[in-house]
Amino acid sequence: MPTILLVEDNEMNRDMLSRRLQRKGYTVIAAHDGEQGHLLACSKSPDLILMDISLPMMNGWEVTRLLKSNASTKHIPIIALTAHAMVTDREKAFEAGCDDYDTKPIEFTRLSEKIENFLLAKKLS
Amino acid sequence: MNFHDLSIKRKLTLITMLTSSAALVLSSLSFLIYDLVAFRHLLIQDLRTQAEIIGYNSAGAMEFKDVPAATATLTALTAKEDIVAAVLYGVDGKEFAHYSRANDIFPKVLPPLSQEQGYRFYGGYLQVFHDVTLNGEHLGTLFLQSDMRQWSVRAKRYGGILCIFVLISGSFALFVSSKLQRLISRPILHLEDSMREVSANKNYSVRATKSYGDEIGRLIDGFNTMLSEIQHRDGALRSANDELKTRTLELEKEILHRRQTQEELLTAKHTAEEASRAKSTFLANMSHELRTPLNAIIGYSEMLDEEARESGRSENVEDLRKIQSAGKHLLSLINDVLDLSKIEAGKMGLHLEDFDVLPLIDEIATTLQPAAAKNSNEIKIRVSENVATMRADITKVRQILFNLMSNACKFTDHGTIALDVDQNDRDGNIQFRVSDTGIGISEKQQQNLFFEFSQADASIARKYGGTGLGLAITHRFVQLMRGHISVQSETGKGSIFTVKLPTQVVLDSTKLVRPALANDGETSPAGSKIYQDTVLVIDDDASVRDLMSRFLSKSGFRVLVASNGEEGLRLAKQEKPLVITLDVVMPDFDGWSVLKKLKSDPTLAEIPVIIVTIVDNEPMGLDLGAASYLVKPVDRDRLAVLVEKYRMARSPSDDRPHSTPSLSGARKSKRQTELKSTGDVHHADDLVGRRQ
Repeated sequence: MPTILLVEDNEMNRDMLSRRLQRKGYTVIAAHDGEQGHLLACSKSPDLILMDISLPMMNGWEVTRLLKSNASTKHIPIIALTAHAMVTDREKAFEAGCDDYDTKPIEFTRLSEKIENFLLAKKLS
Repeated sequence: MNFHDLSIKRKLTLITMLTSSAALVLSSLSFLIYDLVAFRHLLIQDLRTQAEIIGYNSAGAMEFKDVPAATATLTALTAKEDIVAAVLYGVDGKEFAHYSRANDIFPKVLPPLSQEQGYRFYGGYLQVFHDVTLNGEHLGTLFLQSDMRQWSVRAKRYGGILCIFVLISGSFALFVSSKLQRLISRPILHLEDSMREVSANKNYSVRATKSYGDEIGRLIDGFNTMLSEIQHRDGALRSANDELKTRTLELEKEILHRRQTQEELLTAKHTAEEASRAKSTFLANMSHELRTPLNAIIGYSEMLDEEARESGRSENVEDLRKIQSAGKHLLSLINDVLDLSKIEAGKMGLHLEDFDVLPLIDEIATTLQPAAAKNSNEIKIRVSENVATMRADITKVRQILFNLMSNACKFTDHGTIALDVDQNDRDGNIQFRVSDTGIGISEKQQQNLFFEFSQADASIARKYGGTGLGLAITHRFVQLMRGHISVQSETGKGSIFTVKLPTQVVLDSTKLVRPALANDGETSPAGSKIYQDTVLVIDDDASVRDLMSRFLSKSGFRVLVASNGEEGLRLAKQEKPLVITLDVVMPDFDGWSVLKKLKSDPTLAEIPVIIVTIVDNEPMGLDLGAASYLVKPVDRDRLAVLVEKYRMARSPSDDRPHSTPSLSGARKSKRQTELKSTGDVHHADDLVGRRQ
């Protein structure tokens, strides 16, 4: 089963999203801030990362940049979850190296489609 | 000195004096001449009388040839001073006797021709001849010669008197004329002085004094009138000048005042802008804060819904759906507020792309089915044959149509909602017409229809819900794309909203330079090898390459991938693909450089290049010659439509250049679709696809 790392500081959203992903059959590891997210990404090598952007300690852009500059983690697709939904956010996400982005509130069907696509692409390559 | 340049005084004096002197001299001379002529005549008579007397007295002596007696008679003439010589000639003409006062010369022989006249003037003398007769017998001739002393003395005296008289009378005339000339010269000189005074001191109040009522008097009158006029004008000019100065001062004050006002306004503007920015920021933050808990509400309710259905506990499903629906409604309201704040902050940008209109219409119709069904409405879609693709911000077009359609659904009960799409090739506009048979909008309500926070009636908010932002946002979106929206309605008779959008929306800063599509094989260099359905994907990101090739292969294309610009160029030259998709941000050799190289190579320039990037710089892409511009994440349908378009454009035998094979079948059936209401109920607003 593919493992998904969910980096999200809001407890309710983290709980809700991880439960829904688990219901879809994914193994979910959750991190509540950027640093923990970075550590877990390095140690657990998840198949995909859902990255909230406004995080305490280290924000989502920084974590993404770190992971994408690391040879052992740069292949992991990262989907940024932004709440601002500003044009600049989208550009920032790609600039930082995110592979895709989605806006909050999460439309779960849309998000899970994206996740599936990435995992499928990964499997094919 | 020339007479003409003399002063008028001198001229007048001279004229008077000369005139009077000339008259005097002339009259005196004529008198003198007359007198001298008369006097001479008198002298001649006198001399002839003398000659007669002497002749008589000497006749006896002549008879008797008594020379001494004759000489004695002649000598008696001594008393007459002016007679200088007397001679008696015999009949033979020879001298008989003579007398001479001072041995004056006299002719020895009687001069001829003299006797007929009796006298003559000869050599400055008066000579008189007289016949001497006795008893009728001619005895000889008497000759008297006078030096006319009396006459010349008289003439000299007269001349002297005349000179003295002329001198005296001339002096008198000079005196008189020098006195009288003032009559004329004084007023003229006075006038001259006045004029000098005026011209030297610019003193227009000076007036010349009039002395007499003659021409000079009239001249002075005229001069004074002229002066008064000048003075009047001068006064007027001066006051105008003063007024001008005052006005200028006032104007300067006004300018200063305005400048101050302007500065104040500028400050106020800055303050207002600051406040507006603060408001926008507040709204953005607020909606973010609101979304986070909403995220949980919607998420949990969806999850519970799924769980409840799976575990067969359907009693709560209905309520969970209500929570979801309310949450999504709340979300759409927040999104509206956020949209509006973005528009107001000027942060609402346009993401232009080419897209097929028909699928969009179908999508909207499908999405709106539940909303239509809620009020038992029927949706009718009509798309005119000439409607094909347009270039605009698809998200905003979708939202515009969605807002209008969902409003129509909301305010119509058991009616028909119609969407007509028509393209006007003349003005390059595409027209969307949304009509309903609902409650309509009164004329008064129409006035504020497109303004924020103004619903047609406050009671409407209570009955139908909504923030009143939908139409305002629609309006703003239409404006952003340089389109036009209008409404036509009457209370109780339904409403018709008409939106006109350019089929080719351009960004404000975008130049209207778009590369023409390659129409067919003829425009590409002769002999070049073209694989009609090869797509070259140039992207440094492996996942993008994979996704794209997977998708494009599925759509029936042969896909070539290149992970960098150089490889891409090599493959392009080698394979001459139908279409190239090009990423911009790549290491070493970025997409712009690749695009430039492609467009500068005549064998490759015709190949349409679709830029697929996260860099939002469409104007640059189009300037460099890109055919289309897609911003990541790539909308696959959009990509499919584009690639398909180029495939059709390449195929010379195809007579349907604007439709795609994969879509045309569906299109025919959807041209005139009437979608029946279904029982599925969703709130309309939750179905808007938002892409921020």
